[in-house]
Amino acid sequence: MKREKIMRVFWPIGFGIAFLLLWEFGIFHDLLNLKPFQLPIPSEIAITLFENYEQAFSDMLITVTGALIGLVIGSFIGFCIAVVATIFPKWGFGGMILVTALNAVPIVALSPIMNLWFTTGMFQKIGVVTVVCMAAMAINAYYGMNDLKPFSLDLMHSSAASRWHIFKKLRLPNSLPNVFTALRINIASAIIAAIISEYFATSTAGLGFGIKDNLRKAEMAMGWSYIVVASIAGVTLYLFIVLVERDVIKWHASQR
Amino acid sequence: MKKRIMIFLLTLTMILSLILTGCSSSDEGTSSGAASTEENVDATVDATVEEEPKELVDLTLQLKWLPQSQFMGYYVAQEKGYYEEEGINIEILPGGSDIIPEQQVYNGAADVGVTWVSSLLKYQSQGWELVHVGQPFQKSAMLLVSKADTGIESAEDLAGKKVSNWFGGNEYEILALLESNGLDSEADLELVQQDFTMNQLMNDEVDAASAMTYNEYGLLLEAGYTNEELNVLDMNDEGVAMLQDCLFVSEEWIAENEDLYVRFLRASIKGWADASADPDVAGETVFNVDQSVSKEHQVYMAGEIAKLVVPEGFDPANIGYTDMDAMQQTADLALEYGLLSEEADLSETFVNTSYWEAATK
Repeated sequence: MKREKIMRVFWPIGFGIAFLLLWEFGIFHDLLNLKPFQLPIPSEIAITLFENYEQAFSDMLITVTGALIGLVIGSFIGFCIAVVATIFPKWGFGGMILVTALNAVPIVALSPIMNLWFTTGMFQKIGVVTVVCMAAMAINAYYGMNDLKPFSLDLMHSSAASRWHIFKKLRLPNSLPNVFTALRINIASAIIAAIISEYFATSTAGLGFGIKDNLRKAEMAMGWSYIVVASIAGVTLYLFIVLVERDVIKWHASQR
Repeated sequence: MKKRIMIFLLTLTMILSLILTGCSSSDEGTSSGAASTEENVDATVDATVEEEPKELVDLTLQLKWLPQSQFMGYYVAQEKGYYEEEGINIEILPGGSDIIPEQQVYNGAADVGVTWVSSLLKYQSQGWELVHVGQPFQKSAMLLVSKADTGIESAEDLAGKKVSNWFGGNEYEILALLESNGLDSEADLELVQQDFTMNQLMNDEVDAASAMTYNEYGLLLEAGYTNEELNVLDMNDEGVAMLQDCLFVSEEWIAENEDLYVRFLRASIKGWADASADPDVAGETVFNVDQSVSKEHQVYMAGEIAKLVVPEGFDPANIGYTDMDAMQQTADLALEYGLLSEEADLSETFVNTSYWEAATK
């Protein structure tokens, strides 16, 4: 049992280290016929990141702030749409269709549009992330609120529960696992959307601008250190959501 | 346990095959993407083959940007068959916001590239073995444009204003302009990223925007602004001009293709000479190649480009000549304003003018 546990940690870490070593000692470069100035080695990226961490950190804060604000607004709107669609199924469902259609608009098309509506990079970023986050939440929350166990609904009806009571005591808790699934999807897409929107933003701040600008200007190590920071930020936020989820829906089968 | 090792090996082979197919498919991608342009070329090639059965050598040219009159010399040379006369089957690859000519040429996706000198110097300083081998544009086309009512008449007036540029290596003339006038680009004003339209300036989202004489400035005029309504800071007048569109190749390629490149350059210079002499026709030629923007805009652009290739008092026989003083100024500004961390090496390894001399002999 103990051995098993050790191996479970060992394999991924061992694989990661082997990957970095192969990269560091140029095996990938030989394999893919790349020069170190095309694909910088990990140690160079680490040194560059260390030397510029203040800049990278402040850019990360900007991107993450935009992504989180957009995530909250977008998820909230998405949730509200799901609630409306649940309470007024006849016409509320139209909102669901609309939001799904919005979801199909690519980020690269959305960013320049948001540039026209908002003058600063931050608002443009929040706008893009908001739109991107709405659909996943609306669809998941709607599903959670309506995919009820028949006997629970029967129980509610047999005790003459009002619609509000059914909503509060049954539908809302029942939707929580789906809401967290949506949040997990959204946290990843929020970061991606924020970074891509910065490619087009009227600003020179943020991880997206740092990645794009440096890779174009042959500052490969700098560009890659931004990529590293972006993935660290993404993973950290994801873990944060997973931890909150574990705490909030302890009762659900997926957490036991 | 055995099973697990098998799974591990299986994943490894899958990853490897993914990497390998990834490589091969990207190769296919470039060649199939090129196929459509090849067809056009083939059609014209067939016509000449009948008269003069000569083996044509393939050569790919990577542009810095979309097909437009900025590159009219090459399109005119292609249209008039100058490349075929030199035994070249030319293929002109359009650029785009995520296509970086230096990387395309270095990777071998293209043989010859068009880029800005400042950008090329940066790549060279980072160890990319690329050589500057021709300079069609003699002047900088960079302007900083503002609406006249903003009152920006000199660089000093930019203090406290919102100024935009495309960045990604295009910002160094603007940085030089600011800093040579005692403005700190971080503290004294707000420098932001500009998209590929002029909407930000028209909508007053920025006070001053970068503009190329041949493209964005024309957009403003087409949008109904008059020259009087616009204030212009010209980098050439401000003493911070850097050289722009140049031709470059990789060291590896030129070592084996010196003669081919000289022939390419000779044909291109002929194309540029014709285009600059009659920009209206050249603009139309480019419009026929790619109708991404209106004919009027292509013709306007051609007129402005002609002024960069053959400025007033410049002998058209010298088209493509590399002015080493302007080159030195570009390198000095690049060093002074942070593009380069050490002085650029302008020796023959990096800036080779012998091909131009051979081509114009």
